[in-house]
Amino acid sequence: MEDNIKSRVVGVDISVKRTTYAIVDVRGNIVAQDCFPTNDYPDVNEYISVLSEKILELTEANGGYDTIRSIGISAPSANFLTGCVENAANLPWKGIVPLAAMLRDRLGIAVGVANDAHVTALGEHAYGRAHGMKNFIIIALGHGIGSCIFSDGRAHLGYEGFAGEIGHTTYIPNGRECGCGQRGCMETYCAQKGIIITAKELLAESDKPSLMRNLAEINPRTIAECCEQGDELAVEVYRRTGEVLGFVLANYASIVDPEAIIFTGGIANAGHWLLDPACETFDKYVFRSIKGHVKFLLSSINNRERDVLGASALAWGIKEYSLFK
Amino acid sequence: MLKETTKTRVVGVDLAYKQTTYAIVDVRGNIVAKDGFPTFDHANVNDFVSHLSEGIMTLAESTCGYENLRSVGMSAMNGNFLTGCIENSPNLKWGGQIPLAAMLRDRLGLAVALANDAQVRALGEHTYGCAHGMRDFILVLLSYGVGSCTFSNGRVHLGANGFSGEIGHTHLKPGGRPCACGKEGCVETYCSTKGVMLTAQEILAESSKSSLMRDCEHLNPRTITEFCNQGDELAIEVYRRTGEVLGMALANYASVINPEAIILTGGISKAGKWLLEPTNEAFEKFVFHNVRDKVKIMTSTLVDLERDLLGASALAWRVKEYSLFK
Repeated sequence: MEDNIKSRVVGVDISVKRTTYAIVDVRGNIVAQDCFPTNDYPDVNEYISVLSEKILELTEANGGYDTIRSIGISAPSANFLTGCVENAANLPWKGIVPLAAMLRDRLGIAVGVANDAHVTALGEHAYGRAHGMKNFIIIALGHGIGSCIFSDGRAHLGYEGFAGEIGHTTYIPNGRECGCGQRGCMETYCAQKGIIITAKELLAESDKPSLMRNLAEINPRTIAECCEQGDELAVEVYRRTGEVLGFVLANYASIVDPEAIIFTGGIANAGHWLLDPACETFDKYVFRSIKGHVKFLLSSINNRERDVLGASALAWGIKEYSLFK
Repeated sequence: MLKETTKTRVVGVDLAYKQTTYAIVDVRGNIVAKDGFPTFDHANVNDFVSHLSEGIMTLAESTCGYENLRSVGMSAMNGNFLTGCIENSPNLKWGGQIPLAAMLRDRLGLAVALANDAQVRALGEHTYGCAHGMRDFILVLLSYGVGSCTFSNGRVHLGANGFSGEIGHTHLKPGGRPCACGKEGCVETYCSTKGVMLTAQEILAESSKSSLMRDCEHLNPRTITEFCNQGDELAIEVYRRTGEVLGMALANYASVINPEAIILTGGISKAGKWLLEPTNEAFEKFVFHNVRDKVKIMTSTLVDLERDLLGASALAWRVKEYSLFK
């Protein structure tokens, strides 16, 4: 008989700029939250020391460390099956970093790590748009494009945990150059950099006036603002982006047959400027027995909370473990 | 409840375009007895079900006895596991929604499960074939159409409505050959039987080289393979182009699924290395780098008909036991 059921978890979101960590209860309420800059710690051992100290501080100030069941971490290029961050292109730590094991050894409780798309899917399933869905796809549109498939109520991870690399499926053989070494990956059209290239291409090939010509910085947010003001070329940027996105998602949906496709990430903030053309192209190319059955949805969770909430859902999904029992 | 015996036999049914075959299979995958009849002897689906259930009863009575049959598994084109129906099959004579599993269950008084041909093949390979022990793999069926099935974490990924796996109707680029589904440029229009034949015609038209294909009366994927074996350049080119399209489609597929293996089955896969080598080359070129050189692309080692019957029997073991007479 156990009287002390641990009723809280810690969710950690490691992004390139910032590490956010929060204490979350069983209903997804964030009890306390704090953050620090990730890049201040180029040595991963030092980073883990700081992170574990800060987690201890936060938990001691909010109900005590012994109320914490486990820890979930969202990190780019993280592999749930190995617990490692593997060759992350944008983080300061190179190679294969056994993040889960390192943090578990410091804190003495179970730690799970997973990549951002996987964690987002868990968060949306537990607390957001995908609540109650068994088969859906999450598309994270940001600097890169990641995705996660839920199959029959569980995340599909694949043989080695690399599933979901939709950003690096080929849209045009020998198309734009991609950071992965290939050409024509869909990411080079639909992620942040790709949209900026499309905007510059459009401005170069047309001599129409456009608000985009006067922008100090062209980025997906400022282009979307120009769309709101009725700028034709800006609308065309998202129309072309949506066309590529819709085409690629049609192929994706034809093999997965999802109930919904849920969009998150900065680029998704363009809303209907992106999703209307994406939907149109999607319907044109998706297989007929799936057409009309797939809902396009925007994430309903607050951007600042999504990743730590997802990480908390991940924490609940792993086996409890304690050094002190 | 104390029970002394369990039912030790299931029935596997393979409903194919030409022939319907049914077999009684034991727990180890031995086919105890099998029989069959031409599928299109019956224009009316009720007659078909009558014939099939009588056939199964006769076969059971002459071997293990009806009381030892646990359940029935069926493989059918356009079969939907979630509904138990054949849905709008363009190739079968019975149009619309046909609740085949329910119809057969009512006749036999046993649980009946129905799934599409790719799913049943994947189950067959997983239970008795080259995917034994694999938890994440893709099975691709290259035949009159192009279908597929994904195994996710040891189970068939069905999708929200049971329609997953339509790789044949994905596209590599906008535009292309018209497809029977109403769209253009579907992978199926390049990699199915018809697609390979079209590619052959295109190559013969655009080149003036001599080729064994030119004088062949019954040109089909099998004869093209024979010509490849005889060193015919244009025949080899047919499968090179087919493999190029297939390899790229599979690369995109593998980048999102991260499978341990891709198993190619169906008539077109019988072209062997003529198809597999160019497929593999295009695959490795386009697939995401953390999956590159890791996915085993292979062909099935089982005999086709036997594999489909065994797959259907594996499906039968997965459904809940049910009996009218208990």
